[in-house]
Amino acid sequence: MKGLHGLIFAYEKHLGLRELTERRSPASVPFGGRYRIIDFMLSSMVNAGIDDVGIILQSNYQSLLDHVGSGKDWDLSRKHGGLRLLPPFHMDQCRGDMGYRGRMEALASVASYLEKIRQDHVVLANGDTVINIPLQKVYEAHLRSGADITCVCTTKRDNCPDDATYLMVGEDSAVTSVEFNVKQPAGLRALDIYILSKELLLQLVNDCKRTADYSFRTAVLQRMAAQLKLRAYVWDGYSAKIHTLQEYYDRSMEMMDPAIRRDLFPRERPVYTKEMNVSSTYVDPDGGCVNSVVADGCTIEGTVENSVLFRGVSVAKGAKVSNCILMQNVSVGPEAEISCVIADKNVKITEGCTLVASGRYPMALAKDSEV
Amino acid sequence: MKKECIAMLLAGGQGSRLYVLTSNVAKPAVPFGGKYRIIDFPLSNCTNAGIDTVGVLTQYKPLELNGYIGSGQPWDLDRSSGGVHILPPYMVEGDKGSWYKGTANAIYQNIGFVDMYDPEYVVILSGDHIYKMNYMKMVDAHKAAGATCTISVLEVPWDEASRFGIMNVDSEDNIVEFQEKPKEPKSNLASMGIYVFTWQKLRQYLIEDEADASSSNDFGKNIIPKMLTAGEKMLAYRFSGYWKDVGTLESLWDANMDMLSRGELDLLDASWPIYSRLPDQPPAFMGREARVEHTVVTQGCDVEGTVFNSVLSDSVVIEEGAEVRYSVLMPGAHVKRGALVQYAILGEHVQVGQDANVGGDPMDYDPDKWGISVLGPGTVIADRETVAPNTMLNCHHEEVRR
Repeated sequence: MKGLHGLIFAYEKHLGLRELTERRSPASVPFGGRYRIIDFMLSSMVNAGIDDVGIILQSNYQSLLDHVGSGKDWDLSRKHGGLRLLPPFHMDQCRGDMGYRGRMEALASVASYLEKIRQDHVVLANGDTVINIPLQKVYEAHLRSGADITCVCTTKRDNCPDDATYLMVGEDSAVTSVEFNVKQPAGLRALDIYILSKELLLQLVNDCKRTADYSFRTAVLQRMAAQLKLRAYVWDGYSAKIHTLQEYYDRSMEMMDPAIRRDLFPRERPVYTKEMNVSSTYVDPDGGCVNSVVADGCTIEGTVENSVLFRGVSVAKGAKVSNCILMQNVSVGPEAEISCVIADKNVKITEGCTLVASGRYPMALAKDSEV
Repeated sequence: MKKECIAMLLAGGQGSRLYVLTSNVAKPAVPFGGKYRIIDFPLSNCTNAGIDTVGVLTQYKPLELNGYIGSGQPWDLDRSSGGVHILPPYMVEGDKGSWYKGTANAIYQNIGFVDMYDPEYVVILSGDHIYKMNYMKMVDAHKAAGATCTISVLEVPWDEASRFGIMNVDSEDNIVEFQEKPKEPKSNLASMGIYVFTWQKLRQYLIEDEADASSSNDFGKNIIPKMLTAGEKMLAYRFSGYWKDVGTLESLWDANMDMLSRGELDLLDASWPIYSRLPDQPPAFMGREARVEHTVVTQGCDVEGTVFNSVLSDSVVIEEGAEVRYSVLMPGAHVKRGALVQYAILGEHVQVGQDANVGGDPMDYDPDKWGISVLGPGTVIADRETVAPNTMLNCHHEEVRR
């Protein structure tokens, strides 16, 4: 049938995220006060009218499974189609515990799923990117242009990841060459979102299997650039790929910028996440809260500034929190003083404790730890 | 499929004493406490108590309420056996059918629904109150006493007793007399409007009551007195804890303020959660100049101004230089730069223009003239406009008298 099918890669590991990915994959790292990073791509897909989404997982995915569940919170718990979680189930590469080396290898391992896709087009995207993109428009542009593969990219040069892919573009947005690992990047930076037909995808997966190729950008984008019609679709809205703790910290602090919040949370494209039943946040007469993003269910009796508070955080009387990211159910004890700290879920900061790090080298506290 | 106990929630009333707040929605759908609507309380109480079958009787402006309840998923009431059912009045052969004539008639018209589950007991609830209660404990007391009807009661201050339906009981809490708003109350046990009935008994009384042309088909006025006269065993079940009728503008405002003080009504208590349906919104943002004290703030809010002692529901905007005190702001309300809002209830999507002034502090006014100000959903207040205390405006900006 006509339409778009979503495939999200959530197998990558980013060691630079250290404590945050000890017990979860980068795609399920909490972000923005009440979300997991994957919520942004999942919601972008759902808001584009995509009914069926597959998430390709490999390891450390228990937290992600717990988060997405049946897909109900994204309206993806359906009788037909809906959300499908795809751990490795076709291990003919016999590579044991080794991670997927690239997207083509990941796709090959779920080949039987790909064959059963109902829609005639597929969008490939990463689960570790914070982005809210109108994929419907990309899809329409793909159909209009008659391209084989549409590559979403940006002209923006800020926050470029080291391993970014750059596209040289000629007339009519046709991609002329594809580069990466270049010292002086030129052209458009790919956002690693691609739309192509199911038929072409199956063929490419098959071809790569025969030649033992695993990388989408070398085996498909670079090698086949001449044979295939590759087109660039420029989208300059907010996007952030988060690979390191420092990037995590910096991108989180950007949430205090109204322009970025407007970009990431437009009214017409809400970001969905797992529902938690918590009451509203309460700010006590002795408490204060400025320039901060605060989710529901928090109790603020101390002072909070320039911080991101997830659901259920409590800041006790006399406590001072500045430039921090406090995830779900973190509690900060009375008279504690913390600055530039990233506290993972359920961290307890005890009475009177002082933790002062620097914005250029934030301190991360692992899930469930007590300080 | 047989159930031991089901609940029937009377949600058809207009709630006319909430005036502009219910001009377009039924009372149970009125927002409360930041994230909730009134009906979240009885529905959550049912699911927490283990009652998985709830009939919701709707009649007045049901669109928003029906949409809100939907499949019942937020309350875990989307079941294949039982679950939540919306029960509007309906037509029958020969153009008979009628609106729900009274609370008892509403249940009478749905005897077929109740019979489907063939329950031993039926809990009758209303969508007017803010409280947390385990109905199954009440059913257990009803069972243990072998009662026909059990009515939950609350001890109220003696000087307020004449405002309630008062139950006079014997030493074992059997109800011996019922007085509706007595001038000289003999007891201070007020009915909370929550009943447990043995279904087969109630069924019989409902059929008899329907045949009685002089009856107004109401539980309080007809069914309860008839059962008492007939000598049925009727038990008073004592409830202690927070309970508030939010049927008037003042009591709705009071209950919101009670919730703020986090005393008896603790909504963060994980052992008895209150569930609600809320659109996905980003977390609240508190700006650089924000000053927020003794206030609840909900997702989607953008607070740049000053807020004291208030309840901010989702998506409320308080611009820089604006000040809000002792007020209840329903979803989407927007207070612009320099405006002052005090002792007011702002309905959904109300806009208060720049430097406007809504409501007033009771200290500055003659107590006879003071009252909370209420702006109905969608009301737009112009820049620099003044809305005096005790004033109520509807969405057409017309004053509505209480």
